[in-house]
Amino acid sequence: MKCNCIETEPPAVVAASNVRLPMGLLGFEQMKDYLLIANPEEEPFGRLQVKGDASLCFVVINPFLIAPDYHPDIPQADVDFLGLKNPEDALLLNIVTVQKQGQAATMNLKGPIVINRNTGIGKQVVIANASEYSVQHPLLVSEAAG
Amino acid sequence: MLILSRKTSESIVIDGRIHVKIVRVEGEVVKIGIEAPSDVPVHRQEIYEEIQRNNQQALVRPIGPLPKLVQPKNKTAAPSASPALKSARP
Repeated sequence: MKCNCIETEPPAVVAASNVRLPMGLLGFEQMKDYLLIANPEEEPFGRLQVKGDASLCFVVINPFLIAPDYHPDIPQADVDFLGLKNPEDALLLNIVTVQKQGQAATMNLKGPIVINRNTGIGKQVVIANASEYSVQHPLLVSEAAG
Repeated sequence: MLILSRKTSESIVIDGRIHVKIVRVEGEVVKIGIEAPSDVPVHRQEIYEEIQRNNQQALVRPIGPLPKLVQPKNKTAAPSASPALKSARP
């Protein structure tokens, strides 16, 4: 008999960290505080969830996992704004659009979210070489297991 | 809409802190120099709207299960996919 058994595996550890986007995301300028949630079951995707409203969330991914030759040119004004001293300080997350029922997904390579790992402060940056990239770079996905 | 006439190298001051200068006029192209405090985002309108639209489409609600990523093969020691911040670590 099939039943909804209690899982024997311990629950995966879900990590969450605070991210502040002082300028919000483009089109969501008023939402500045987020939780970055890394759930091992959802890797390599992460979730950027609006703090105080769990129903509002963006799916994000490390872009280099998909496009190893991605070379975003971050404008100097943004580097200064974020206080980035060297490239290792920057965590890049690109917003993923999941189509209905998870049949297809794309990521935005023109406007990565750049976060200073040391301060947790980030900004959605329009890269200087945006014309070389798409806002809908296709991801190869298979439907979520039910 | 306020419409002002300006010559090359003349400027407009907005709110006492944003300076917009006509740098050069080349046929149909106008080069504009903008000086604004770092908390004032400045974007080309068409790219701003493209990313804004994409962000609105990407907003997930309600939250369902995420699809599985089909990872490219023959990858050498992929960098950690976990988007964790340093500050989140002990």
